[in-house]
Amino acid sequence: MMLTIALVSVIDDDESVRESLPDLLREFGYAVEAFSSAEEFLASDCVGRTSCLLVDVVMPGMTGPDLARELTLRRYEIPIVFITAQGGETVRPRLLEQGAVECLLKPFSETALLNALDAALRVT
Amino acid sequence: MPVHERTASLKRANEQLEAEVAERKRSEERLTTQHAIARTLAESVTLTEAAPQLLRAIGDGMGWAWGALWTVDSEASVMRCTHTWHAPSLDAREFDAVSREAKFARGQGIVGQAWLRGEPTWLVDAGSDRRFLRAPAARAGLRGAITFPILLGHHVQGVIEFLDRTVREPDTEQLAVLAAIGNQVGQFIERLRVEEALRDGEARKAAILDSALDCIVTIDHLGCITEFNPAAERTFGYRRGEVVGKHLADVIVPPSLRGDHQRGFARYLATGEARLVGRRLEITAVRADGSEFPVELAITRIPLDGPPCFTGYLRDITERKQSEEELRRSEALLAEVQHLSSTCSFWWCVATDAITWSKQAYQIFEVDEGLPVTFELIFSRIHPEDLPLVHEMMDRARGDGRDFAFEHRLQRPDGSVRRLHVFAHATRDQDGQLEFIGSVQDVTERRRAEEALSRVRSELAHVTRIMSLGTLTASIAHEVNQPLSGIITNASTCLRMLGADPPNVDGALETARRTVRDGNRAADVMARLRALFGNEGVAIEAVDLNEATREVIALSSSELQRSRVILRTELADDLPLVAGDRVQLQQVILNLLLNASEAMSGVDDRPRHLVIGTQRDGDDQVCLAVHDVGVGFGAGGADELFHAFYTTKSGGMGIGLSVSRSIIESHNGRLWAVNNSGPGATFSFSIPCAAEMRDR
Repeated sequence: MMLTIALVSVIDDDESVRESLPDLLREFGYAVEAFSSAEEFLASDCVGRTSCLLVDVVMPGMTGPDLARELTLRRYEIPIVFITAQGGETVRPRLLEQGAVECLLKPFSETALLNALDAALRVT
Repeated sequence: MPVHERTASLKRANEQLEAEVAERKRSEERLTTQHAIARTLAESVTLTEAAPQLLRAIGDGMGWAWGALWTVDSEASVMRCTHTWHAPSLDAREFDAVSREAKFARGQGIVGQAWLRGEPTWLVDAGSDRRFLRAPAARAGLRGAITFPILLGHHVQGVIEFLDRTVREPDTEQLAVLAAIGNQVGQFIERLRVEEALRDGEARKAAILDSALDCIVTIDHLGCITEFNPAAERTFGYRRGEVVGKHLADVIVPPSLRGDHQRGFARYLATGEARLVGRRLEITAVRADGSEFPVELAITRIPLDGPPCFTGYLRDITERKQSEEELRRSEALLAEVQHLSSTCSFWWCVATDAITWSKQAYQIFEVDEGLPVTFELIFSRIHPEDLPLVHEMMDRARGDGRDFAFEHRLQRPDGSVRRLHVFAHATRDQDGQLEFIGSVQDVTERRRAEEALSRVRSELAHVTRIMSLGTLTASIAHEVNQPLSGIITNASTCLRMLGADPPNVDGALETARRTVRDGNRAADVMARLRALFGNEGVAIEAVDLNEATREVIALSSSELQRSRVILRTELADDLPLVAGDRVQLQQVILNLLLNASEAMSGVDDRPRHLVIGTQRDGDDQVCLAVHDVGVGFGAGGADELFHAFYTTKSGGMGIGLSVSRSIIESHNGRLWAVNNSGPGATFSFSIPCAAEMRDR
């Protein structure tokens, strides 16, 4: 059994999220890559290596759900945890229905984040 | 018989014979005189023409030397000499002149005596008789004198006077003759008067016929035209000469009616039974050109002996018919419009309180048609709760004489309630008396629809408010959640770094710094929100609080009226301008008005009086107060009132008062409330004058 550190990719247009979330994830013990847009992530070499995707729902350009559809088309099966700062309660059920592991409403607690990551990585 | 006796006897016989001869001669003279006078009077047509001949006939016939005719000058109440005559041998120039100048009052002189007593006066010798006043008579040698009145009945028309150069003893026979002559002349004068009156009457009749606006046509007993006046010529298009002598029926009666006319005429002549005579009726007549037109006709029988003749008065009533028809149509139209729009019109004379209204009013007020309209009747129909309002509006209209409009409710006998809109325009009649002409419209259905619409509208407004509140919440949430999210994440990381073995102090410091930064970011969001909803951007200007109040009243008057609030304003005349935001102050005023109205919504045992007034408050403040007679507020309520959600109302948020207070406080003023000594409460605010603002 090869011991690898799972890579969590964070995609958010808000710089403070890209700044704070990766530090916490590394404290949890994950490898982290942060991207400011879905397009940037797709163009990187991380797509194939990513074990879990933490992605903002509303972003300029390609949105979180857009990215999820794109990955399905490209036949990637990466577990996705959405994070959102607005209207979460109305979009959350729909996103879960479409296959998201979780949808976290900002501000979310450390426990909520850990639970979501556990769920995502257990799937694999 | 001795000779001397026979001589004496003969002499006597001779004297007797001479006397008889003289007497006979005098009788003949009198007879001749009377004949001459009768002829003169018969042949003369004026007194002026008759007078000289009268005087000469009497003077010559009865042996007088001078004569005169005196007639009454009724204006001066004297008699004046109008004609004189004298014997050719007499030089009467001076006496004529004096007599022509003379005037005698009743009883004055010999002329006035005859006038006063109405009988002849005989002077044996005018020269020695004090009753004779004209001295020049003596110089002319005139002595004996007589005057006698011209009588009509007992009325003296004039006096005739004669004088002679000899002294004359009274002659009773001559006096009788002269008295008779006086009567004859009196009758002559009367005859002249009657003839003159007759001539006047004829002339007047002709003038009336010619100038009459009505057509006047007279016909004889055969129905033939005898008179056809100029108006008839104009109306019918015939010349008088063309139609006189023709049958009336052939001239002016349309062919279709001629049979009826002739039968009716024949019946009248045969039986005296008149269907048309003495009545006024409308018939159709025909003109010379054959055109027919309506006329009004009145026929009278001329009251003369002999075969009956008639006068017909005809008037072309084409225009009247047309205007009657137009008026009828216009009235029908008005009645129909009033019926369709449930509107009636009225006229109110303020001085007499007389009310006249249109037919539709009986339906609106549900009053039996024909009942006399009185205020008592109207008040009996007005909803008891609205009576104070109606009285108030009427008193105000009486006082200021200005147009008015208001709404009130009607309670009909069957208990149904209707809502009426009253509008009246003030005007003055010819004498300057105040009158109102106006309309009353039943707006029950319209108001019902408006209320339904208003309910829908307020529900819609409520929904809109909730929706915008939702949008606002989402946007605020987003703004705040971003930094909050960062704070929690960074703080979690920080804790983990510090809890690691060994602790990652550098990392912890970095994340703690980020936590502080995100905290500030959240604080910035709150500051922006406060700027958005706070008091920033208030436009302070000089505001006329009275003017602002009037605008608010104008905006809310229909709402107040619907709530049956009787509003009175007591705005101070010399109010200084205040410093403030006009719109915000108006929001406060509106809020106080609507609160006051709301507080009275349950009041049914007294008029819902609301008084809004302004006045100076000290030297540098202006105060506005709203006084109601509503429920007031409970003990200790005055402070609670201004808490955001305190309310005495069943519906509504009650947030208005706290907002109002903060607006007033932002104007450096204060807002307070006190319970009245009577029912209700008074809400007041006081804010600085504009001058105060500039000084600071």
